[in-house]
Amino acid sequence: MERRNFIKISALTGMIATLDACGRPDQKLIRFVPEEDLIPGIATWKPSVCTLCSAGCGLLVRVMEGDAEVVRHGQRGVMQMGLAKKLEGNPKSPINQGKLCARGHAGLQVLYNPDRITHPIKRTGARGSGEFQAISWDDALKELSAHLAAMQAAKTTGSLSFLARPLSGQRHELIERFLKAFGAPPAVWYQPFDEAVLRQANLLSFGHGALPTLDLGRADYVLSFGADFLGTWNSPVAQSVGYGAMRRGRAGRRGKFVQVEARMSQTGANCDEWIACRPGTEGLLALGIAHVILNQKLASQGPGSKAGSLIPGWSAGLPESTPEAVEKQTGVSAAVITRIAHELTKSGSATALIGGAPLAHTNGLFNALAVNALEALVDTVRDPGPILGFTPEPAIGNAAKSTAPAGFSGINSLAQSVFDGQPHAPQVLFLYEANPIFSAPPGTRIREAIAKIPYIVSFGNFIDETSAQADLILPDHAPLESWLDSMGESGSLQSVANLAPPAVAPLHDTRAMPDVLLGLAKELGGDVAKALPFAAYDAMLRMAYVPLRARGGSIDAKTDDDFWSALQAQGVWSSTPGTASTAGSKSAASTSAPAAAKRAPMALTAPEFTGTADDFPFYFLPYVSQSFGDGSLANLPWLQELPDVLTTAMWSSWVEINPKTGARLGIQQGDLVEIGSQQGNVRAPAVLSPGIAPDVVAMPVGQGHENFGRFASGRGANPLSILATVTEHETGSLAWAATRVKIARVGGPEQARLTLFSGGRSGFPHEEEPR
Amino acid sequence: MSHKWAMVVDLDRCTGCEACVVACHAENNIPTAGEDQASRGRAMHWIRVERSWEGDFPNPQIRFQPVLCQQCDDAPCEPVCPTYASYHTSDGLNGQAYNRCIGTRFCANACPYNVRFFNFYNPTWDLPLNLQLNPDVSLRSVGVMEKCTFCVQRIKSAEIQAEAEKREMKDGDFTTACAQSCASKALVFGDLNDPNSEVSRLERSNRATKLLGELGTKPNVTYLERGTWQDATSV
Repeated sequence: MERRNFIKISALTGMIATLDACGRPDQKLIRFVPEEDLIPGIATWKPSVCTLCSAGCGLLVRVMEGDAEVVRHGQRGVMQMGLAKKLEGNPKSPINQGKLCARGHAGLQVLYNPDRITHPIKRTGARGSGEFQAISWDDALKELSAHLAAMQAAKTTGSLSFLARPLSGQRHELIERFLKAFGAPPAVWYQPFDEAVLRQANLLSFGHGALPTLDLGRADYVLSFGADFLGTWNSPVAQSVGYGAMRRGRAGRRGKFVQVEARMSQTGANCDEWIACRPGTEGLLALGIAHVILNQKLASQGPGSKAGSLIPGWSAGLPESTPEAVEKQTGVSAAVITRIAHELTKSGSATALIGGAPLAHTNGLFNALAVNALEALVDTVRDPGPILGFTPEPAIGNAAKSTAPAGFSGINSLAQSVFDGQPHAPQVLFLYEANPIFSAPPGTRIREAIAKIPYIVSFGNFIDETSAQADLILPDHAPLESWLDSMGESGSLQSVANLAPPAVAPLHDTRAMPDVLLGLAKELGGDVAKALPFAAYDAMLRMAYVPLRARGGSIDAKTDDDFWSALQAQGVWSSTPGTASTAGSKSAASTSAPAAAKRAPMALTAPEFTGTADDFPFYFLPYVSQSFGDGSLANLPWLQELPDVLTTAMWSSWVEINPKTGARLGIQQGDLVEIGSQQGNVRAPAVLSPGIAPDVVAMPVGQGHENFGRFASGRGANPLSILATVTEHETGSLAWAATRVKIARVGGPEQARLTLFSGGRSGFPHEEEPR
Repeated sequence: MSHKWAMVVDLDRCTGCEACVVACHAENNIPTAGEDQASRGRAMHWIRVERSWEGDFPNPQIRFQPVLCQQCDDAPCEPVCPTYASYHTSDGLNGQAYNRCIGTRFCANACPYNVRFFNFYNPTWDLPLNLQLNPDVSLRSVGVMEKCTFCVQRIKSAEIQAEAEKREMKDGDFTTACAQSCASKALVFGDLNDPNSEVSRLERSNRATKLLGELGTKPNVTYLERGTWQDATSV
């Protein structure tokens, strides 16, 4: 059997993966009784939910019987269990309609990742040293419970802080209820690329504080200001389905797609016309186009809209935003502005949308309001509705909002409260899948702040820069081993609720975070136990989701029990199409936003940048990576090896520079360059790209981890680490596109380590391979 | 009924998202090379998305093109293989028999599409990533050539299923991993011997071209040209 043993011994486990029928007694591992009945070779498909981004796509998991090496009751052995072999999109989900993106497929490598934390661990060495030792669940929970009980006794419950990635569904609800009953402040929901600006703009313009749903399949003209809607923004799979239909799904009609951005994104690569616009002036460009429409009366219906009323001068036809004036500010010619205005209004159904970098400026909200006003002017098809609409909220029980706002300001406040040393400065920090030490700008000093917090507990699956600071780690199950639920914020004009039981049994000695919190609540007793009277998380889910039965929709069930079974079997519930009265209705004033109606128009604002143009001549654009998202997926090897579609780079960081800029600065393809802002420097190989303005440099986010497993650690550079803490004026969101940088060549390809898929061997020297 | 498996790639729908690339890795147990081997040009992406740049800023253009084994009717990789490891099947596939392959690499040399990948080393998986491996697909060892098989395991599976149900296979019974994942429906797989299949319909499009068709390889992958914005024709 030796020749066919392709499964290598991993240094970490030191154990030989069992080939049980070998008949070699020295390799025999004990065999545990399987927990489920599976027929070898026959696959079962189980529903699940993808949790890698906020789109909430439905999954089907291919589960097949296999032997896994596991540890049970402290003993290593082998167990026959269901193994997840493949993920596919769930055809029943109206959001992704059976499709799945590259990152979604790679989610399978979270479950079987060799760097997962496999059991509870307690810190033994200095903070951040990585020295941990195993601790039993009983001991760990006893310690944690005692800690929390002591806080109750000392009346210092206000100094418990919970820092988590934004969660949809009942996890959010559970955490907030726990904190409230305990007497702690609400959680800090943090992710680096949040959509607070767009949600606020949509609330003001359209009465819906949510991400938009785009029915692209019906569009004849799509004008996108910076939105990477086919890659990483909003609901990329749903949008890609619509895009395909827009191009070739209707006989005789092919929608036109125009992308406005300073750096050609994967989405922008598909456009018919690419418009390079000066960073931060996208809103002004939208007003220039609107000026032409208003003054030449090109719109099929009047200009009166709530969205328009938020722009000063709208009713007067935006006298200051003539194409000539706008050309001066944006760099987009007056002729193009005028032509786009005509094209938008001559097309059958048109839409204007905004996402990504234009929102990440100090004037991000203004940019969004301007584009929204243009959208209201041109997206006028009534039957069945406009291209840009909103998912009706399913409003289940006392459920949390579908996605909580992600607070950069929350991180700032957290750090500040530690430094100020007020009475309620955090003494205990709970962490769950948030990694601000990696992704928050250094100016927040969050690393320093977290280091000062006396007691830190992490519930995540992995050691990362932030969880490495923990004193106690109580690892959660992987998503496919967990009860998952979420509500689609966008991606479908039907309400969508995702709910799935675990697709596979837990591989390691982990516990579901919700169940750990529920256990703690019970242990603490009193108000906390009362607020969360559930023996296990699925009981809480059942209570929250069963009321959907009354709404009919995709599941027809006579009893709550039947509904609950059917929901688990399908993985998704959706409302009947076309029934929600407010679906897509932008003109209806929302009763949930009375203040918005009275709002005065927002003044025209220009973007501000850190660093002077003399010292820092380039706009810096860190962008959400097609492979790694916000960096949290860098530990998945399929994604590290996935060639970036624009550069073919694998396992690398890089900086995109315009070729003329490169020539001027003596930078050639593959050279090592240093990018410096007022906050710091990073180094990465240069990639010369025609798809970027000469005064912009761009870097993908995701690499540059110092501590995130074997695939991601010590690799590349982290562009977020040189961002300034400058914020969008109104929302306080991080303006991640507002940092200026300088750039210099510091080495050749042999120092740069750029690996490309196209073009054979890389420039850097290779060791001779042993023969 | 005999089949002739084929694929149509609509370049007007392809967005360059690369879901197909990762789906293929997951389905077909493709080894991950790692940074060192990848930098030696040994990463294996049975399907890849090529991009070609035209023009300069401020009017750059990129075109994406997914490239995979074209399953050529007149495959140049077949006559050069001394052991018939690269051979033609009765349902129109270029098959690769791993256990006949002795690693001469003449096939990869002959292939104009650069879609054949050689195992220069024994593939390894850090435990427990091996638990994800698809039991329906053989693992390849060092010295063996591999490439896209049009998910032959799914073809066989569907054939067996249809036979068990005592019926013919029909269009839509199954598809390849890449086509299944393609959100914009750029990739369509099916049977050219079925005149009513989606793939047959699309192959008749006036946008249809073949990649390097002038070489005479007779590929079974048809590319539909990307449109321009004034283009309002269908299909």
